[in-house]
Amino acid sequence: MNITQENLANLVGVRRETIVFLEQGKYNPSLLLARNIAKVFKKKIEEVFSF
Amino acid sequence: MLIKSNKKIMTIKQYQAARLALIIVLSIIVSQAIIFKNYIIPIFLLIVSSLIMIYMRRQVKEVIADERDYATGGKAALLTIQIYSWAAVIFMFITYGLRDINPAYEPIGLTLAFSTCILMLLYSVIFHYYNKVKLMDKKFIYTAFVLALFIAMAIASLRLFSGEDNWICKDGQWTPHGHPSFSAPAAVCK
Repeated sequence: MNITQENLANLVGVRRETIVFLEQGKYNPSLLLARNIAKVFKKKIEEVFSF
Repeated sequence: MLIKSNKKIMTIKQYQAARLALIIVLSIIVSQAIIFKNYIIPIFLLIVSSLIMIYMRRQVKEVIADERDYATGGKAALLTIQIYSWAAVIFMFITYGLRDINPAYEPIGLTLAFSTCILMLLYSVIFHYYNKVKLMDKKFIYTAFVLALFIAMAIASLRLFSGEDNWICKDGQWTPHGHPSFSAPAAVCK
């Protein structure tokens, strides 16, 4: 899926920096944010995030 | 027109710049107003600037704060309270200890002590609200009960400790003010 950090941030209602930190593994999202991001990619949470 | 169309016109950087400018202008005016002993202008300006900030915030199309900011804000607030409380307590002891050298230190120490108490009390109340009360089913009843209890205690404390019911020296005689529960002072009333 071709999507920018800015677009993803706007879609899930967070700031772009949060997406950056998520990608770098420096921030653990809330369950709600994890679900919303997974929803954008049409995947399950465990397919997007590894805990 | 702007409000009706409901279009977001500010970017987050513009919002931050405007907020900074507003804070600078506000600080200058408030400090000058206090120097000239005008206290109406700062109150009026604080209300107006708060309204401007709310309006500007609504004009921003991007997300200003998200869950990460709230989590960070919570940690920062807790640390700030801890640092302030420790610093205030240390300075309170120093200023209160030096009150014999300069009596002006006493009100400074007392102000620091009371401000720390109020800050910690407020933090405890707000923490309790978010930690327990907000998750309750009957939070309105609970909040109303606690508020009523707090008001009753505040009134009772004022009645007990405010010195309302006391003896006052008037025209060379001790005159009861209110209904003092104790007899008139033995000292000579001048």
